[in-house]
Amino acid sequence: MQDFETLLKGSAEAHGHLCPGQVVGVRMAMLGCELIELDNPRQLPQIKKIIVYVEIDRCATDAIAYVTGVKLGRRSLKFIDNGIMAATFVNLETDRAFRIRSTEKSRELAAEYAPEIRDKHLQQLEAYKRMPTDLLFKIQAVDVKIPIHNMPGPTRFKATCRNCGTVVRDKKDVYQNGKILCRSCAFGAYYELSKEKNANIKNKNL
Amino acid sequence: MLKQHDYSCEKDCFQKIKVENAVGLTLGHDITEVRPGEYKGPAFRKGYKVQESDLCHLMRLGKRHLYVLDLNENQVHEDEAVIELANALAGPGVTFEARPREGKIQLIAAYDGLIKVQVDPLTEFNLIPDVMCASIHNNTPVKKSRRLAGTRAIPLVIERDILDQAVSLATASFPIFAVKAFNAVSARLIITGNEVYEGLIEDRFEAIISRKLAAYGSTLAETVILPDDQDQISSTVRRFLEMDTDLIITTGGMSVDPNDVTRLGIQSAGVDRVHYGAAVLPGAMFLLAYKENTPIVGIPACGLYHPTTIFDLILPRLLAGERPNARDLARLAHGGLCLDCATCRYPACSFGKI
Repeated sequence: MQDFETLLKGSAEAHGHLCPGQVVGVRMAMLGCELIELDNPRQLPQIKKIIVYVEIDRCATDAIAYVTGVKLGRRSLKFIDNGIMAATFVNLETDRAFRIRSTEKSRELAAEYAPEIRDKHLQQLEAYKRMPTDLLFKIQAVDVKIPIHNMPGPTRFKATCRNCGTVVRDKKDVYQNGKILCRSCAFGAYYELSKEKNANIKNKNL
Repeated sequence: MLKQHDYSCEKDCFQKIKVENAVGLTLGHDITEVRPGEYKGPAFRKGYKVQESDLCHLMRLGKRHLYVLDLNENQVHEDEAVIELANALAGPGVTFEARPREGKIQLIAAYDGLIKVQVDPLTEFNLIPDVMCASIHNNTPVKKSRRLAGTRAIPLVIERDILDQAVSLATASFPIFAVKAFNAVSARLIITGNEVYEGLIEDRFEAIISRKLAAYGSTLAETVILPDDQDQISSTVRRFLEMDTDLIITTGGMSVDPNDVTRLGIQSAGVDRVHYGAAVLPGAMFLLAYKENTPIVGIPACGLYHPTTIFDLILPRLLAGERPNARDLARLAHGGLCLDCATCRYPACSFGKI
């Protein structure tokens, strides 16, 4: 694995800016990989041995993805929308897994670890580099049982929604009132269809 | 269940060979690695194909010989077999662990819902030698990730034709296991009783019903308290039916007292069918009626005093879109006796299990 500063530089470039979240994310990912004993997870063969569950969609998540090489499209990056600055690193080969959470105390201690910096943003950025691991993170050994439909690899399961005809992959279909349905048809969609706009699309008048 | 196993096949499949000759062969057992204070677990798993690069690691672990599996084309290792079995058994709403543990795979709920088990095909499945599957009871409400069943190929190596037979049976009866998602319904409640209506006692039914609905993601849209008056009960049921109501619940007035007219009120509201009485204790005077697809439930007074009653058995089925009939209510007899334990452990007890 590359050193911290190299990874931080690459992560900031990939993310779009350097921020305290990048520092936390890079350190969290390096620690996670160390705990599950993967030193080169971005390349084969280790790229197939790691899954990371992230619990927030903020800056640190991009850093974690950059350092570990996990990706949504590879099914190695799982997003659990908990709003918590935490991630769980799983070694699929050994089943070892560790959840690492960024502590709230680290925010309070930022001034102590970078007292010479006045700007809060820059102060956090530098402090998170200097802070000892046990103050920055809370580490838990955990057991993660990943069901087969969430594993990387080729699509194993397909179902067709009886309502809209859409093919649903990976057991994300719902058996409701005797019908196989997609989640949108079963529980409602996150979007609303606009008749007017759809008519424009049909008429190629976008 | 007693089964015949061909153990000689299992013995024949093992070969003890030197580590350096094991490349490309399949491990017949897990190899554990212990690093004191740091790690204890499998370094190599049963079924793993040994690579050239593994030899040093194996030697470091003190291995000089290994048992490897030498399978012919008609034999399947238990870990591969159990994946095929789980795949054939798991219907909609049912998933399973990605990796067998000790030759077993657990089937688990993909979301909250009601487990449906086809019991007769499951029995037939278990009559096939060398495979097994054990499950929780049919019609149990389950939470996401809850274990539903476990399956395995019993011997370390199973014959391909037996495995195919089991898979075919499960496929022909698909799905042997399914989880029906609950509908989040809007329910309306009619609390009957002169004593409540006149304020002589305070109602406690609304809180109970509301809590039980909420456990499945459903809500009470409206509650009315009525006297023991057949016409008022009937007209309120009709009013609720005309509104956007998925489920109507009435409480009280189900017994044989002359004031108990709730049943008559429901019957005279123009419902399509009424099932009065059920083979469950508590809950013998339960009523279940339907107007088209809308259920009307009559909960007797036992619903106030017993933490778990027939309502707890029928509600999840209604919310899962089922419309139980008289036979379904009668079928509850076997397992329909609540033992009134000092601390209610339902659903972890025999109540309602068929």
